[in-house]
Amino acid sequence: MLFLTRTLPFLFCFVFGMTGWVIYYVPHEWAQTVEREIALWLRLVYAFAYFLGLFSLLSLHWSKIRQRQAGWAYSLIVYISFGVMTLFVVYNDGHGPFAAQATTGPYQWMFTSVHVASSATMFSMLAFFISSAAYRTFRARTPEAAILLVSAIIVMLGRVPIGAYISDIIPDTMQWLMSVPNMAAKRGILLGVSLGAIATSLRIIFGIERSYLGGGD
Amino acid sequence: MDRLLNIDRRIIFIFVLLGVAIPLLIDIHLPIKPTPTVRAVYDEIERVSIEDPDRPVLVSFSYGASTMPEMEPMTRSILHHLFSRGRKVVGICLWPEAVGLAQPIMDELAAEFGMKYGTDYAFLGYKPGAQAVVLNLGQSMAGTFPFDTAGTPVGDLPILAKVQNLKDFSFVFDFAAGDSMEFWWIPYGQEKHRFPFAGGCTAVMAPDLYPFLQSRQLVGLLGGLAGAAEYEALIGVSGSATSGMEPQSVTHVIIILFILLGNTVYFTTRRRGGKA
Repeated sequence: MLFLTRTLPFLFCFVFGMTGWVIYYVPHEWAQTVEREIALWLRLVYAFAYFLGLFSLLSLHWSKIRQRQAGWAYSLIVYISFGVMTLFVVYNDGHGPFAAQATTGPYQWMFTSVHVASSATMFSMLAFFISSAAYRTFRARTPEAAILLVSAIIVMLGRVPIGAYISDIIPDTMQWLMSVPNMAAKRGILLGVSLGAIATSLRIIFGIERSYLGGGD
Repeated sequence: MDRLLNIDRRIIFIFVLLGVAIPLLIDIHLPIKPTPTVRAVYDEIERVSIEDPDRPVLVSFSYGASTMPEMEPMTRSILHHLFSRGRKVVGICLWPEAVGLAQPIMDELAAEFGMKYGTDYAFLGYKPGAQAVVLNLGQSMAGTFPFDTAGTPVGDLPILAKVQNLKDFSFVFDFAAGDSMEFWWIPYGQEKHRFPFAGGCTAVMAPDLYPFLQSRQLVGLLGGLAGAAEYEALIGVSGSATSGMEPQSVTHVIIILFILLGNTVYFTTRRRGGKA
């Protein structure tokens, strides 16, 4: 059992990790073929992950409904919505499940008029919460916070036409802030994150980090 | 002063609501000045239209319904520009939701410019796999997307007759609401195959992508609704991004005024020795 639960996953991780790393830099035909096959397998894993996600979502909400947890009615809506959309996909505006997805019909209507509209509304509501949060928390308590506050105001004005309407200096300063200090900070963060990702990947490939195998060590 | 510091958030919400609603009802004309990063995308499309007119352009849609208000205007303006220059366009999706959002826009704009499906444009739909799709596209277009959304084999589409892989596109553009540009397209596509690459993203993502602009891994960038409005100004089309700039301008001013008010009240209270 130890071989199946520990050794085999570690071997897979080592072999595919090293192969994926090395072939990225090798332009030879055989290396390209291996890369293509690995990428294809990765896509298959991705596709199966959707089933896993679906199973996880439905089982989570099923347990909420069964135990009548707070807000279980919302979980019921998840089931109803899932069922209705699945039916509409199978119906496919009268063309059946094996034809190409119809660009009209009840599925498209539900997608455009319910899903798109509600998702966009949820995202748009952020503007209201950000405004309230900015009023309460954006304070120039320290010199660093004051610099951040001034920069934020310049960027907020410079990103919209009213900035240029007030003065051409505002969008130009905004562009400088984005292209110089922002870029320097982002590059530093990106390099740090990338080096961290490389270090973590190497730890996983060489079996130093084994928490992904489960078991608590 | 304490009452001002602890103002009911619903009052702020009402101001934001009015800031959005009133400019939509009253026409406040504000001039839109394109930024260099947006102009660079425009110039690149103009360049490939003149220097490389035969090879098609690949557009990748990596966004969902929640970011549609920001992403749709830039999708429209980029496709409008490409089709107006007679460019052949191939569309793919790396996010599943993008199919239902992008395909109607592509069909509508193609019809407006008299583009014929299969010859002048094609829509290949969604494939799961994120960066693995980009990696496979670098090797084989037909192997990665064997059929379009209507089930037609890509080998039967004249637009893809000479396309083997990513190197056969004159220009690649990614509409991204996630990390598809910096973690999928640049490391596994642009960096490996060196094609001209640009993108459009949501406003909150734009600052993250500036290092790639300086390294020229990104030719140009459209950031959020403002980026789309600037592009509309460049192509001479007044669309939803342009009309959205007025409410956005007023809302930004309202938020700034609230921040300044909050700071004024905070420092006044602190100077008086109160609790802030």
